[in-house]
Amino acid sequence: MTSAAHKRSRRERLAYLPYLIPGLILFTAVIGVPFVMNLYTSFTEWEGVDSIAGFWPGGDWVGLANYRELAGDGEFWASFRHNALVVVAMAIAPTAMGLVLAALLTDLIDRHFGPRAAGFLRACVYLPQVLPIVIAGVVWSWLLNPDTGAVNEVLRAAGLDSLARDWLGEPGTALWAVMAVMVWVQLGFPLVVFMSGLQRVEPSLYEAAEIDGANWWRRFRHVTVPQIRPEIFVVLLWTTIASLKVFAPIYVLTKGGPGGATNVPSYYSYQNFFDKTEVGYGSAITTVLTLIIVALTVVFLRLQGRAGQEPEGER
Amino acid sequence: MIKARRGAALLAALATGSLVLAACGGGGESNPDELRLWHYEAPNSAMGVAWSQAIKEFESTHPGVKVKFEEKGFEQIQKTAPMVLNSKDAPDVMEYNKGNATAGMLSRQGLLTDMSDEVAKRGWDKLINPSVQVTSKYDAKGTMGGGKWFGVPNYAEYMQVYYNKDLFERHRVKVPATYAELVEAMDAFVKKGVTPLTNAGAEYMAHQFVYQLALDKADRTWVDAFQRYTSKANLTDPAWTYGAATFTDWVKKGYVAKNSVGLKAEDAGVAFMGGKFPMMFSGSWWFGRVAKEVKFDWDTFVWPGAKLTPGSGGNLWVVPKGSKNKKLAYDFIDITMKKHIQNALGNAGGIPVAADAAAITEPKAKKLIENFNTLAQNNGLAYYPDWPVAAFYDKWVAEVQKLMNGQATPAQALGEVQKAYDDGLPK
Amino acid sequence: MTTTLPGSGTRARSERAPAGRPRRRRRGPSAYLVLVALLGLAGVMLIPFGVVVLNALKTPQEYTANGPLALPEGLNLDGITGFWERTGFGGVLLNSVFISGSVAVLAVLLSVLNAYALGIGRIKGRVWILVLLLLANTLPQEALVYPLYFLSKQVGLYDTRLAVIIVFTVIQTAFGTYLLSSVLAAFPRPLLEAARIDGASRWQVLWRVVVPVIRPTMAVLLVFFFVWTWNEFLIPLVFLVSNDNQTVSVALGVLQGQRLMDATMSSAASLLGLLPTVLFFLVFQRTLSRGLTAGAIK
Repeated sequence: MTSAAHKRSRRERLAYLPYLIPGLILFTAVIGVPFVMNLYTSFTEWEGVDSIAGFWPGGDWVGLANYRELAGDGEFWASFRHNALVVVAMAIAPTAMGLVLAALLTDLIDRHFGPRAAGFLRACVYLPQVLPIVIAGVVWSWLLNPDTGAVNEVLRAAGLDSLARDWLGEPGTALWAVMAVMVWVQLGFPLVVFMSGLQRVEPSLYEAAEIDGANWWRRFRHVTVPQIRPEIFVVLLWTTIASLKVFAPIYVLTKGGPGGATNVPSYYSYQNFFDKTEVGYGSAITTVLTLIIVALTVVFLRLQGRAGQEPEGER
Repeated sequence: MIKARRGAALLAALATGSLVLAACGGGGESNPDELRLWHYEAPNSAMGVAWSQAIKEFESTHPGVKVKFEEKGFEQIQKTAPMVLNSKDAPDVMEYNKGNATAGMLSRQGLLTDMSDEVAKRGWDKLINPSVQVTSKYDAKGTMGGGKWFGVPNYAEYMQVYYNKDLFERHRVKVPATYAELVEAMDAFVKKGVTPLTNAGAEYMAHQFVYQLALDKADRTWVDAFQRYTSKANLTDPAWTYGAATFTDWVKKGYVAKNSVGLKAEDAGVAFMGGKFPMMFSGSWWFGRVAKEVKFDWDTFVWPGAKLTPGSGGNLWVVPKGSKNKKLAYDFIDITMKKHIQNALGNAGGIPVAADAAAITEPKAKKLIENFNTLAQNNGLAYYPDWPVAAFYDKWVAEVQKLMNGQATPAQALGEVQKAYDDGLPK
Repeated sequence: MTTTLPGSGTRARSERAPAGRPRRRRRGPSAYLVLVALLGLAGVMLIPFGVVVLNALKTPQEYTANGPLALPEGLNLDGITGFWERTGFGGVLLNSVFISGSVAVLAVLLSVLNAYALGIGRIKGRVWILVLLLLANTLPQEALVYPLYFLSKQVGLYDTRLAVIIVFTVIQTAFGTYLLSSVLAAFPRPLLEAARIDGASRWQVLWRVVVPVIRPTMAVLLVFFFVWTWNEFLIPLVFLVSNDNQTVSVALGVLQGQRLMDATMSSAASLLGLLPTVLFFLVFQRTLSRGLTAGAIK
């Protein structure tokens, strides 16, 4: 590459900078400054009320004390174990299922039964995303009730009494029951994103594959998946971030119980921010959580870049 | 394409319109002719009924003054009270939870008005039983039972046993009057294949059993040590150990269902009110609902043989530091303390703090109030187990769930509770 | 890379509709099998909604006597009307529509601008800019509450709908920027170059070439942002203090008491609250699945 071309392409790139300015300004005001304030607060002991100099929040400087306390908080770190399973329930399973569903709806239902059928099915799967999570929690705890719940009734009616469980009350089943509900909540999100991505795919690609005698699975692997790879990365990262921050869906179902069997890290920051009003300690927890998530994001974006969707440098 | 563009223009117009609308929003401007009042009781609850009557009376005795009442969600007030009260949007008078971790904390942070002078001037301290007053007065550290009034309770609450008379008759079980009879009655029900007590392990019900059983072996000094830090509380002492061990035993014997570990109080209450359990040990906050919705014959009794039982003054009227119309706020509180409003509260199924006993006509409500007054006069209110430190409730729930599931021995569970208690004590 | 350039098939899309119909004839038994299985799945997904409807139509007495899963004895609309009056639901609904609608539109616009610079413009250090912008999502919301509370008090935006709109516009933009810039990174370069050679400015290229191609994705974002903002709870809870400013999700909280909840009214209320979002989804459903028209490219 000549240096003149290099210079031109640099100028070319700078010309796009103005498009970023409104976004960056708003970001700084709403996220950047609060992030720094939160970081500062994490080095203080503060109850969230008085403010230093009438503006900058934060209490008595305690240095790294909050972080030291956090490092020794065994329960907090143990709760990350549950998070690993939550990632499966909120990210991996829905993404995989959503991918297959999206392909079936686009490639099979839409073509054989028309777009209305596909649209109807998509709407049904998406609907749980719309229900307020508080209500979803109440309804699922009715359905999972050990005595009167529909789940156990169905099992008993089918003669499977031995499978009936106290789903949310036994430490062995509570997390699995919560995970099942999360798949229910989450599935619509990947489905809708993937189906919109599949709109870009040329039908001729499928036709060519079909003529070549490729069966559905081969078409799925060699046409569908490569075509919407950007969406797959985005959905996977997004749901993973969400599952690392998750709080409400678990709390409305089990309140972290039985006996802490379903606690997640966000529970500790909520508790410290709002129940104990130990805002300094809560800030330390969220800072650590954020750093972990950001590190993961960077790794993920690198992988995505290497997978060819974000080509580095000039081509 | 044109159609799509028109749609986009419509959306853009919507967005700008809303921005303009939003910019006009915001409140907090003070108005001397307006009393801003917040509470979080349902309109058909005893408090809701009595207080809406009080609002009408306030407006008729204060011509020209308007009450701007807003019903709030409990959670919104719990989560955001320190922030709201520290802004110019604070109301003039509001309902707030009593206890060290709630009203006590706000008082320590200087967000509530010390109304001791007003209390003395208007004679509220004479109306309210001294043992009910404890939750209204806080010391400099925000511990209840202190010297300064930061709130005034309008009602009271305590725990009792609700029982299904039909089920007792059908299974020919005698209604218990002593603890021994209670155990006999529960044995009789278990023999008939009926679980005697409804329970909710995911919420307050389960640990309140543990607390009541511990109280059976305790005294006032023990309660004050635990609740008011008058001396060091030992949560692994014989009383607590008895409470935790007995409750574990009850689960084993089937007095409470083992599969209630994951249930919420609502589930447990509905199961009792649906006639599935003969007894429910819970608070007077259920009274109005049981009276209204239950189809079988029912009644209540105080925990058999109890000298101490969970209970306290109710939520408080507090006057935020930033209240702009404090005088009006006190006038309003004064009206809610008047005999006829208090009587209305009692007749609607609440426990008034300053009612005229003769004016309460409904027999079950009368009994509810009389039982409370006896307890209060004998200094028998023991507050609630989750009060002493912030976020204690979650700890109790978790540890009692472990007890029920056999994941922890009473000593282990109580040891964990002790740790949380010691961590949370005021420094 | 060369085989997977999305968008390169835009011109072929025009033939899709006419070509799609005849193919419908070949419905094998396996297609019916899949349809039945998917209908079964859809049924399972809808069960909880059925339960909500059941309880919304019950009286509290029926709910208490027969439990939450029993059928209602008759149609009882007291829960719905009662909640409407108790919270002034008309105003609450309007607030939610305004807040969610504004956030959806503004955040989509902002996402497109950001993604244009990052995905098409390939600004230097774009990965790090993206990581920075993603902070809006990676940072747990509870960490934002206290700082934003202080900042909004300073600028006089505490207890205003505008504050909530601004905050969520930025938060939602993170997803939009990421999704769109990932999609645009794979945008067919020849298409852009052709437009530039024709003398179109960058601004014109954005609106005439790029936006038409990504319109389905933008529609998805619009729907997501609307629904997500609609169901947001914590930040509206903190920032919308006055009942006059409240949103649907905050108003629902009124029914969840300290120790008691009103199950029938909660069901009725949540049904009321989700109707607008379902409607919004169904209206945009068409946009979601409509492919590109050939005219969009010109």
